[in-house]
Amino acid sequence: MYKRYLCLGCGFLYDEALGLPEHGIAAGTRWAEIPSDWVCPDCGTPKALFEMVEIAY
Amino acid sequence: MSESFVLRGEDRGHTRLVSTGLNASYVAGHPDGVITRHSSFNFHEYQSGRAGFGKIRVLGDEVFTGNGTGYNMHPHHNFIIMAVVLQGTLTHINTIGKIDVLSAGDYYSFSAGSGGKHSELNIEPEDLRVIYIWVLPDRLATPPSYHRGHFDAAMHANRLHCLVGNREGALPIRQDLALHRLASTAGRRYTYRIGPRHGAYLFMLEGAAEIDGIPLGRRDGIGVTGDGGASDQVGITATADGTDLLLVDTVL
Repeated sequence: MYKRYLCLGCGFLYDEALGLPEHGIAAGTRWAEIPSDWVCPDCGTPKALFEMVEIAY
Repeated sequence: MSESFVLRGEDRGHTRLVSTGLNASYVAGHPDGVITRHSSFNFHEYQSGRAGFGKIRVLGDEVFTGNGTGYNMHPHHNFIIMAVVLQGTLTHINTIGKIDVLSAGDYYSFSAGSGGKHSELNIEPEDLRVIYIWVLPDRLATPPSYHRGHFDAAMHANRLHCLVGNREGALPIRQDLALHRLASTAGRRYTYRIGPRHGAYLFMLEGAAEIDGIPLGRRDGIGVTGDGGASDQVGITATADGTDLLLVDTVL
């Protein structure tokens, strides 16, 4: 079951199922596998300030 | 029996932003322009408070000094951002293609959805005072939208008036949530019904009120969670003239 994480600074979405290939994160990469010093590509908010959300498309 | 927690105005997070140094690309304005922000929930560098309430994640009480102070174009996704202008003039520019000018009593609801950018500026000489409320949507990546409305304290006096919510006369919203405003004279009482799995967050803009018997003053807030019973309600008694408060009814 893939999870989704929303940046609390700007709402940018990380969807484990999709990854962020354009940022070097392959589809299917789990949140825990992303380094802890990673930041939101859009606004620089630290990884720790993302919230796991259960919201559908 | 419902549960509640109080957040006094002075206990909120407090930030002062200037357009120079670290925030130069984020904050607009002259070097002596200042944005003062009080946050009721955790936001940016303020992380020692509550994470949110129901679907609310941000409640910011901000003052932008005049002549160019504000936020440069910055991205948003998914969050529904509501802004209530209390004093002065807010010029809002967004990538949906909207340039809007809002004055005291005006408010907007901007659903960022699949993504957009906006800029918030005070290009008039007097201070801008604005309340920002961010809430989670019930669907991700929807087409962005922008709606605005106006609250007339005289016309809407002495009743809980719905600004945003899926009901007649209010701006639409993709969430099980509604934003109300109450402008009341002293001595009046109101009852707000909280539905099952819902809670209410009340934020005092001005004046004084007793919320379920708890006295609150300017910029105090209270979150009330019902116990799920069919008759959950919040009692509001305005105890001063010029009482002005916001009430967010949110699914939990």
